[in-house]
Amino acid sequence: MDWIVITGLLASGVRFAMPILFAALGETVGQRAGVLNVGLEGIMLVGAFLAVVVAMQTGTPWGGLAAAIAGGTAMGLLHGVFCVRLKVDQIVAGIALILLGLGLSGFGYRLVTAGGAPGQVPGFQRLNLGPLSDLPFLGPVLFSHPAPVYLGLACAVALAWGLSRTGIGLGIRAVGENPKAADAAGIDVDRVRMAACAFGGAMAGVGGAFLSTAQLAGFVENMVSGRGFIAIACVVFARWNPLGAVAVALAFGIAEAAQIRLQTLYPGVPYQAFVLLPYVLALVGLVSAARTVHLPSALARPYRKD
Amino acid sequence: MDGRTLTPRRPEARLALVVLAAGVALLAGLIWLAGENALRALVALVQGGFLTPSGLADTVVRAIPLCLIGLGVACAFRAGVFNIGGDGQLLIGACAAVAVVPLLAGLPAPLALAGLMLAGMAGGAAWGLVAGVLKARFGANEIIATIMLNYIAVQVLSWLVRGPLQEPAGVFPRSARLPGELRLPVLIDGTRISAGLVVALVAVGVVWILLARSRWGYGVTLTGQNAEAARYGGVRPGWVAISVLAAGGALAGLAGTVEVAGLHGRLQEGFATGFGITAIAVALLARLNPLWVPVTAMGFAGLYVGSGTVARATAVPFPLVNVIEAVVILGFLALGVLRRRPALE
Repeated sequence: MDWIVITGLLASGVRFAMPILFAALGETVGQRAGVLNVGLEGIMLVGAFLAVVVAMQTGTPWGGLAAAIAGGTAMGLLHGVFCVRLKVDQIVAGIALILLGLGLSGFGYRLVTAGGAPGQVPGFQRLNLGPLSDLPFLGPVLFSHPAPVYLGLACAVALAWGLSRTGIGLGIRAVGENPKAADAAGIDVDRVRMAACAFGGAMAGVGGAFLSTAQLAGFVENMVSGRGFIAIACVVFARWNPLGAVAVALAFGIAEAAQIRLQTLYPGVPYQAFVLLPYVLALVGLVSAARTVHLPSALARPYRKD
Repeated sequence: MDGRTLTPRRPEARLALVVLAAGVALLAGLIWLAGENALRALVALVQGGFLTPSGLADTVVRAIPLCLIGLGVACAFRAGVFNIGGDGQLLIGACAAVAVVPLLAGLPAPLALAGLMLAGMAGGAAWGLVAGVLKARFGANEIIATIMLNYIAVQVLSWLVRGPLQEPAGVFPRSARLPGELRLPVLIDGTRISAGLVVALVAVGVVWILLARSRWGYGVTLTGQNAEAARYGGVRPGWVAISVLAAGGALAGLAGTVEVAGLHGRLQEGFATGFGITAIAVALLARLNPLWVPVTAMGFAGLYVGSGTVARATAVPFPLVNVIEAVVILGFLALGVLRRRPALE
């Protein structure tokens, strides 16, 4: 393979990684706080849908991004109401979120498109960072992405620092590892967990928005196609570490970019063998991580004061 | 008053009531957004799904695979294992069944049909087994694993109907029609209800007996209630996880076979989608009791068919059905909160 192919592969791999990365970062915080949300897929769908609709209304993708954050936060809070306040089974509540997101986004999409085909979506454009973007290899791979890519990477760094080095991060980890001790130390366990749920939802919403307004331009029903679940696998694979999540999400992004290119490169091989690569990678990730990993002790366990 | 009354006397119960009301308001609001009257839409939905002969027949047709997959989900749930892989297991089961069709040529019809179903069950079970082994042997989360296997199964089907299992004409991505003797007969003239209904009801009985009367069923239920106690009792949790996922896969594979042999007559892409997640709701609302699974399967099937009627007759888009399913699951959880005994907390 020559340099042009590899450059293109890595450049689109970075962009393809972003929806998974955003969702995985949010889920990392949620799981560190002890709340498992298997409904990321549904939240991402709602985010993707809202982003497109509001971007078209406001004429700017940032408006769409804000709407996706609002919608994602609302769904994250809904998950929190059930898991944290009502203390029901987190997995079942998450499954309901999948259906809710699938339904809401599909319902809204069909309502919006009932009056005819939608127009052009004002998506995120690739930044031109002047001389940096013109660098050979590094320019396309690192310095010519849409702005949210850099926001995502900055988020990962901020979270890695915040979770391990700040009081808030300590509080989040404490309610996920030992809620009883956290409670005794004066931390309001349920409040921290609700906040983590809201953050997780907002980030999944951003992931959906990235998919529909930066990676692609437009919404189609069920367009997230498993990225919400891959994001959860990514959290586990990255051992609940935000910087690890960057690496793992990049692996998924590059795998996705590679499978598209491999399809044309090897027309003799059934293309389905390539389409399923990211999903197989997720399985491999789950298997290789699961044996060595120490998961947050109170994950998926509601906390009650005695 | 005992703790089971619906009196909202604790904050949790109050919140649960608020959430229930919000769910109903959400549905009404969505229907209003689409320019319809919520009550009228509800009436049309119930009529379309349950009260017209053709609607009821369509509901039964959809309830058959839902019931079979729901039984498997209920078994797994009882052991504390989440099987969201019904869709993938269904597809692989159907592929396996169609793949053995040439081997069944010349056999007497009942034997051939039995062989077809066994192959379907084996295919589905194998797919469930993959998730089971990944969980038991490597500790991989079965929720993610079964969902990834769903996506992989879709690709396997897509390849098979363009490759080894494509119809001889080689034009469309679909398999050849099943020979007549491998089709499940229509049970009720004028409808599409096939003998698959009998298969589903027999499965209900078998699963009920296995769960209630067998050593295996005891181990499954015990593991779900108290894994530690089960371990002391000589039950191996890993083995239980593998067995419930394989059993669920076999039931889903059977559902796929019934869909092909009783309804579609051949394999094609996207011939059965969206059963897996609904089947979770089916099992949940049946309170994991196999005898209630056919009832809740009928309920969710009717919801699906009725939503289709509403979508055709009005401007209310079809995906409302998913929102309703979500509200039903969340409502079920909220009602569970209301039924909690304060003393147990």
